[in-house]
Amino acid sequence: MPNAIETRQLTKRFGDVLAVDAIDLCVGTGEIYGFLGLNGAGKTTTIRALLGMIRPSEGEVKVLGQAVGPNGRGPWAQVGHLVESPSAYPELSVRENLDIARRLHGKPDSSLVDDIIERLALASYADRKAGTLSMGNLQRLGLARALLHKPELLILDEPANGLDPAGVIEVRELLRTLARDKGATIFMSSHILTEVDRLATRIGIIHKGRLIEELTAGDLEKLRTKRLEIRSRNFEAAQICLRSAGYPFTVKDETITILHPHAIEHPDDIAHILVNAGAAPTRLAVEQQNLEEHFMELTADSLTRESPK
Amino acid sequence: MNVTQESPQTGNPPEERSINPFLASLWAETLKIRRSRVPLFTAIGFSLMPLAGGLFMIILKDPEAARSMGLISAKAQLMVGVADWPAYFNFMSQAVAAGGLILFSIVTTWVFGREFSDHTAKEMLALPTSREAIVTAKFIVTSVWAMAVTLLIFGLSLAVGTLIVLPGWSTVLLRSAFVGILGCAFFTLGLIPFVALLASIGRGYLPPFGWTILTMVLAQFAAILGWGDWFPWAIPGLFSGVAGPRAEALGTHSYVLLLLTSIAGFAATYYWWRSADQTR
Repeated sequence: MPNAIETRQLTKRFGDVLAVDAIDLCVGTGEIYGFLGLNGAGKTTTIRALLGMIRPSEGEVKVLGQAVGPNGRGPWAQVGHLVESPSAYPELSVRENLDIARRLHGKPDSSLVDDIIERLALASYADRKAGTLSMGNLQRLGLARALLHKPELLILDEPANGLDPAGVIEVRELLRTLARDKGATIFMSSHILTEVDRLATRIGIIHKGRLIEELTAGDLEKLRTKRLEIRSRNFEAAQICLRSAGYPFTVKDETITILHPHAIEHPDDIAHILVNAGAAPTRLAVEQQNLEEHFMELTADSLTRESPK
Repeated sequence: MNVTQESPQTGNPPEERSINPFLASLWAETLKIRRSRVPLFTAIGFSLMPLAGGLFMIILKDPEAARSMGLISAKAQLMVGVADWPAYFNFMSQAVAAGGLILFSIVTTWVFGREFSDHTAKEMLALPTSREAIVTAKFIVTSVWAMAVTLLIFGLSLAVGTLIVLPGWSTVLLRSAFVGILGCAFFTLGLIPFVALLASIGRGYLPPFGWTILTMVLAQFAAILGWGDWFPWAIPGLFSGVAGPRAEALGTHSYVLLLLTSIAGFAATYYWWRSADQTR
């Protein structure tokens, strides 16, 4: 089975601006891939390139095993998308907007529209003009349009944008159900890192146009794992006594990290061992990094540079 | 939101019946134009032309009343001269040539430019329906609307002329007026692809409006300088008889130029939709 999304050295320049820089993406069928990045990092440009809306300056894009053509040709009958802010024809009703999408997807079954209206909780707005919808309901309409034709692959740019907390949870459950029960592949960008953390099976972080890191489910799990971090003035003695006490550890930047459950549950025991060995800790803390912290670390240079002086 | 209901599934059955993409596009564009007020109000505006012409005819038929109306009377005499069917049809041809360029441009600008103003263009790109089908549907809907409105005002002008009992009626005149007015609309439509192109490249309304005004001004200059037959945007006006009999004003080269301009406009619009980066 081919990968749902594959890019090779995908590059996009707008004049002198390098928006996307040699990205190699590979998203397997059935994955939920979270695509993270700061504003202007290149997320939307990448998504538009995946959808054939912009021509790569260099590199190739394959979607569902088919090359996305320079004229925008691609396997779009099997792809649903939501790009940037949702939009609709304001003078048409919700139902009419969806009916247009249904026909342009070549689907003769008009019950698809009723089904998706029901599933996205849009029934009470079905005959209202799209121009009168709130941002949240407009987002639901955008999602409805993306899901209407039962696609194999969903490419969603900020799917939870504008939704209230209940809506965010509903969309999360909906996407999880699609991936789990129907084998749909989901490629989503989001600013809501906790949302991506909860939903994604793999995460790619784009920064200044480059894919700087990919985290697998295992990496994400590790990120969430608690650890005991230790610093001591007598660093050598601290390592020797911990090794003698049978606590495996790693060392990085003069910090000792222990993942042993007993140490995490009873840091006072570790403190006692260190003090007895003459290596009293200058720092002893149980830490648990989350995706947000990790993301901030990775993109720190931009945040520092862009913060007001 | 009920997530337990039927959800998207992998793959589409190959035997599934599907809608013809072009007909789907045509249906979508027709629905949009039916629901919008822009084409309706533009059609209403266009329909005022026969009424305006009829008013001029009434004024011209009664010189006493015309004198008492001052400037309006003078203007009416300047524009049409005498009150009869040939003058009325002549006025209508010129009105379609000049007004048509503006009104057809408004509707074309709306049909193409609204996709960018409403940010709906991005919903039309990654679809099994080709961009060519969508652009063709837009051109067809615009053209059908324009020709239907032209037929409507031709019918209205017949009704108005009959109501005010204009002299000089003949079947030959009717046929020639029909060809004249429909021809003006047809040639004006031939200039519309560049408006569509500008609405697409400019991603909105202002560039095509600017283009329309520019071409109208240039058409005036070209006609005044005697080069109107070589300037495509002056041809509908010259065809309407605004500068005298069309046979003297236009040659075969004029129609060929108009055709080539039209083809270039269509080709450029299709090429842009196929190839340009869509970033909005």
